[in-house]
Amino acid sequence: MRIEAIGCEPLLLARFNLENSRLLETYRRHGGYEALRKALTTMSPEDVINEVKKSALRGRGGAGFPTGTKWSFVPKDSPKPKYVVCNADESEPGTFKDRYLMERDPHMLIEGMLIAAYALGAHTAYCYTRGEYKYLIDIMDQAIEEARAAGLVGERIFGTDFSCEVYTHTGAGAYICGEETALLNSLEGLRGHPRMKPPFPAVAGLYGCPTVVNNVETLCAVPWIIMHGGDAYRGLGTEKSGGTKLWSVSGHVKYPGVYELPMGYDDMERFIMEDCGGIPNGRKLKAVIPGGSSVYIMSADDIIGKDVRMDYEGLVAAGSMVGSGGFIVMDDTVDIFESTKNLIEFYKHESCGWCTPCREGTDWLVKAFKRIARGEGRPEDAQLLLDLCDNIEGKSFCPLGDAAAWPIQSAIKRFPEDFKRHLVPLVERERAVA
Amino acid sequence: MAELVKVTINGEVYEVEKGRLLIDVCREKGHAVPSFCYYADLALQASCRMCLVRIEKMPKLQTSCTVTVTDGMVVTTESEEIEKARRGMLEFLLANHPLDCPVCDRGGECELQELTFDWGNLEERFIEPKNYQPERYLSPMVANDPQRCILCKRCTRVCDEWMGEEAIEAGGRGAATIISAYGDWLNCSQCGNCIEVCPTGTLLDATYRHQARPWELVRTISTCTFCSDGCQLALGARGEEVLRTVARDRYVNGINGEFLCVKGRFASHPFVNHQARLRTPMIRYRKGGKLLPATWDQAVEFVAQRLSAIRDAHGPEAIGVVGSPRLTNEANYTLLRFARDVIGTENYTATDAFSLVPFFENMSAPLATHRDIRDAQTILLIGGEPEELQPLTGKQIRQAVRNGGARLIVVNSVPIRLTKNAAQFIHSRPGAEEAFVLALVARDETELAARKMGVEASEIERARRALGETQGTVVIAFGQLSPAAQKAVAQLPHLYAGDGRRFLFHPLPLFNNSVGVHDMGLMRGAMTATEMLDAAGEPIRALYVAGSFLRQQLDGRAEKLGRLDLLVVQELFETETTEHADVVLPAASFAEVDGTFTNNAGQVQRVRQAIPPVHLSKPDWLIVASVAEAMGAKFGIELSASAIFRDIAANVPAYQGLRYPLLKDESRPVQVKHALAERRDIGSEIEALHAAVAQMDEAAPKITETPPVGHELFKLGTLTEKLPQFHYLAAGNPKPENTLASSPLIQLTIDAALRKRREEMAVAGD
Amino acid sequence: MNPLPKEIEEEIQSFSPEVEAEIDRHIAKYPVKRSAILPIMFIVQRERGYLDAAGIAYIARRLDLTITDVWEVATFYTMINLKPVGKYHIQVCRTLSCQLLGADKIVERISKKLGIEPGETTPDGRFTLSWVECLGSCGTAPAMQIGFDYYENLTPERVDEILDSLKE
Ligand SMILES: Cc1cc2nc3c(=O)[nH]c(=O)nc-3n(C[C@H](O)[C@H](O)[C@H](O)COP(=O)(O)O)c2cc1C
Ligand code: SF4
Ligand code: FES
Repeated sequence: MRIEAIGCEPLLLARFNLENSRLLETYRRHGGYEALRKALTTMSPEDVINEVKKSALRGRGGAGFPTGTKWSFVPKDSPKPKYVVCNADESEPGTFKDRYLMERDPHMLIEGMLIAAYALGAHTAYCYTRGEYKYLIDIMDQAIEEARAAGLVGERIFGTDFSCEVYTHTGAGAYICGEETALLNSLEGLRGHPRMKPPFPAVAGLYGCPTVVNNVETLCAVPWIIMHGGDAYRGLGTEKSGGTKLWSVSGHVKYPGVYELPMGYDDMERFIMEDCGGIPNGRKLKAVIPGGSSVYIMSADDIIGKDVRMDYEGLVAAGSMVGSGGFIVMDDTVDIFESTKNLIEFYKHESCGWCTPCREGTDWLVKAFKRIARGEGRPEDAQLLLDLCDNIEGKSFCPLGDAAAWPIQSAIKRFPEDFKRHLVPLVERERAVA
Repeated sequence: MAELVKVTINGEVYEVEKGRLLIDVCREKGHAVPSFCYYADLALQASCRMCLVRIEKMPKLQTSCTVTVTDGMVVTTESEEIEKARRGMLEFLLANHPLDCPVCDRGGECELQELTFDWGNLEERFIEPKNYQPERYLSPMVANDPQRCILCKRCTRVCDEWMGEEAIEAGGRGAATIISAYGDWLNCSQCGNCIEVCPTGTLLDATYRHQARPWELVRTISTCTFCSDGCQLALGARGEEVLRTVARDRYVNGINGEFLCVKGRFASHPFVNHQARLRTPMIRYRKGGKLLPATWDQAVEFVAQRLSAIRDAHGPEAIGVVGSPRLTNEANYTLLRFARDVIGTENYTATDAFSLVPFFENMSAPLATHRDIRDAQTILLIGGEPEELQPLTGKQIRQAVRNGGARLIVVNSVPIRLTKNAAQFIHSRPGAEEAFVLALVARDETELAARKMGVEASEIERARRALGETQGTVVIAFGQLSPAAQKAVAQLPHLYAGDGRRFLFHPLPLFNNSVGVHDMGLMRGAMTATEMLDAAGEPIRALYVAGSFLRQQLDGRAEKLGRLDLLVVQELFETETTEHADVVLPAASFAEVDGTFTNNAGQVQRVRQAIPPVHLSKPDWLIVASVAEAMGAKFGIELSASAIFRDIAANVPAYQGLRYPLLKDESRPVQVKHALAERRDIGSEIEALHAAVAQMDEAAPKITETPPVGHELFKLGTLTEKLPQFHYLAAGNPKPENTLASSPLIQLTIDAALRKRREEMAVAGD
Repeated sequence: MNPLPKEIEEEIQSFSPEVEAEIDRHIAKYPVKRSAILPIMFIVQRERGYLDAAGIAYIARRLDLTITDVWEVATFYTMINLKPVGKYHIQVCRTLSCQLLGADKIVERISKKLGIEPGETTPDGRFTLSWVECLGSCGTAPAMQIGFDYYENLTPERVDEILDSLKE
């Protein structure tokens, strides 16, 4: 598996290939925790928030919300304690970048969490990590202990008045707990159902207190922004999306891996065919899901010769989304009906069951896909599937419902042949052949 | 007055209070919006997605159950897009739901069925296999068909928010989510509110399984006959048999909404048509002989002659008349007149557990309704255990804290369950709650009180401050207290009110008509029930009893009944009291009579006849009136409940001006006007309290265990024991081996150990 | 309010002092005890193989919850096992990227070798085989976890080696 930066200096990946990259000593030798020192000793919390606003850093968890703006929603005068929560639930199919950030450079994340805590006036930060990543929780715990021993976590950091504790927390197998409000319920020891918004976590989050939830990658970008300034970060990317972005590449490419690209990297085709080594075994590109399983699937025609720009606006223009940057490539052996069925089974398994359309809709869709796969498809099923998706989309309690509908809607739209083939009862298909 | 805002709904402009929920506003203005999960006064859930509407400037359809109205909001509730969404949701809900309504007990009163008729898709597109879940029992009271569940979670919310029990919860995830409990067995107070609020046939009354269809039942709205809260309920009768009790708010809209407790819900009717009901009048012609059936004429004549003879021989004071806090105001009032006007005796009383006379004589602030409790800012609960003894009050207190942010102060020697919701729990030594009352009225006794209670003086000080500082309503609720303490409590508002602070009282007597029987004046006779028993034989020679003595009153005194020359008892069943009776007269139960009960909030509520009196029984007041007539006295009233009530309104000051027809609407209960007392000198009460407190044991160990749920509720009484399922609860409600096929009751017939445990559970004496 | 028989209720008075201290450390991380429920479930699972009735009762007592509170949480999360699982819990990713690169073949091989289908446990109680959703190993697909250990870039041959190394 490859881990490398393309089209920019490695920013998030800067220390990945150092020996003992996860040790505090290595981190500090390479400038680690200097951003925290700078923030604590020379900047006010507002300065930090402004710098992050300037950087045009947008949330890397999937929604792409401007991070500085989110931080500024936290009420300054609230008498309640405030919390920073790092979202390391990383469960979106196709996404595995946070895993390597935590594995190779845990202190970068801790520093990011501490700076965020300082900016928001929080004294406790939790890192909610999916249960399967137990080894990463151990790595984080060790790193936190190291930092605590060095006075970087805990009381009066760098001799200032700022104190902050950092803790890890484990999930236990639930994709929905990546959704920030479900995550907070889970962190409170409840079932991982999402909460109603408003109130947003920035106002009433963990234990009803103001809380900021940010993705691992988002927080990891913060130390660099503080060190080099928001303008510098924005300069790496585009006007509206600053900095660099990690893409988790998997599927039918020669070199799967984690790639750091500047926002606005200008050609998705080149990225697949050259940077990732192209499609192996002499096969042809058929489809790409560029931003984790929840976004619209793209066909080769949407990509080849289309100069698709890899940033928030570019992907929307090309008919998909950045999402979490889980980039799944499929060659021409793949039946898109089958790949879509695989994903809808995922969503059914992960639906929390709270709301009607998502719970019942995904259950029905899976049953329909299975029936069709058994050879009992009917021509009217295309319409049925689309209609069920329409009854879920925009009507579910949280975005998981939409995330289940979009892959199907886009797959039927962009790969109608792959569906049509299945929507004739098997008996008739056999008869036609005979 | 709250700020008004302009909202446009389907083109019509309305001015409404800002901040109200859009769904409520739409419905109030006649724009129908369907919903399942929305339930007023429960936490918002927004999960069923039935209530979607279009709001201008919002990108998606919005759930009207979560949006509050703001100025200039433009809303559409009817459009093709919305119709499609609603039909889509119903289609989803019906996908895995069995479509065999004719076999479902909820059929005919199912919200899913109704909304499907209103909004549903007629063509069924779901051709896949349905997820299967077997039917089962979750307790002897709760039958469960999980396949019918639409996961609106009203059940889990009432269990949590109303009952504070969190017994029923959602387990599993996604389409496999299931409403259940650990081990699939409910160990809770068995209130059955989850059954009531369930919109579908998922949670069902196990005691009424497959017994009738809702449309066969004639519904009669009446008042519960168990505790002093006075919940409104609907009796469902087919022919001359009462088959079930519900509180569904679409039929009943009383003080309790859809709330009922285990007794009200399950035990209200099984005794009514029970085979053990007394069938005819009976006379024991000689002591030691048998009770023999008689006609009404014979029995009334017999009683009248014997009473007249005793009065002539020994004077009227030799006759005692005993009413009951279970009976209607009309029955008790007739008894009082019988005692005073016909016999001429001052020896009358009622079989209540304790008297509230000292409280009412000195009461200096009005009684709190249950609504007042829900809206209170501070609640001081002295003694008592409303969770078990007045469950509606318990629920209101809990909701006041949980949903209304009220401050609850509990003063109790037992860590009752409500302490979980309390901001402050003053944990006194057993029986030392009165020391707290002393400290409240006499500040310089604080040290003494604290020492005897085993608490810090500062704790009492803190409570005192809370009473003095609260802006808004303070409700003082209390259980049984000594006469001196009752008077002191009754005068508290004079000490703490001021500054427009609003004080209200909520006494916690035990019976459905404890307050009424007090109001009718029966508790102001010359003797108490135990004094009368002690005097049985000499000087009391005859007792005329409606209902029965309580077990605690008979304790060690039952034999004395045998010394009477004459014991006349009006009853539903054979009891310890009827065993000694010379004449037993079969009375009609609450389901067979008209009349009124007065609850602990002073509300006079109607009792209505659901079926004609069973067998040869008659209403209590009618029996008394017949005996009076046979003794040559005419009450001068027409013989009907409303006529007696007119007499009550004319003679009982607190009931003045009330008219029977005014009591028709259970959603607007009428509160009687108990006189408010001036500030009184309570020096002698302080002295009495001081003397009692000084005697208290400073070393007595405290009770640290919270009593188990049901320790009072599940006691087998004369009425509750008529429901077989109650025996199962009394025996500890263990999970049976098989919860699928047969009723858990089968366990009682095959498990001797269980039967033994049931025997051991004390029979409550009422 | 507790329907469990006394024996089960009291089966776990406490774990070893080390484990109790570990649990205390988790509880101390949060202002509200209940937050520690998932970490503690993993510890109980580690100590007892799975979250049995006694474990549930223990957690309820430790966190001042009802057993139904513990049950509702436990049944929500797929990594909490309310039934016994084998000593080696083999969890093969079935989601798209692994599927594209041959997850089916991996499971086929394991099934054949151990004689169990996904969802089953070998009669000797050593192995349980499960399909699981995306493990975050898409770049190193196909992948599986045995217990908490990751095994990635799998081929049927590697599966043989791995299982053989565990058989000892
Ligand atoms: C179903 C669902 C799953 C999600 N999973 C994740 C996740 O695994 N990791 C993550 O960082 N954000 C996830 N998110 C996004 C979070 O809700 C939230 O937007 C994010 O943590 C905010 O951080 P950011 O602004 O730094 O991106 C998910 C959202 C949804 C709706
Ligand atoms: S049992 Fe009834 S009330 Fe409870 S969630 Fe299911 S349908 Fe709703
Ligand atoms: S009533 Fe609004 S979502 Fe159920």
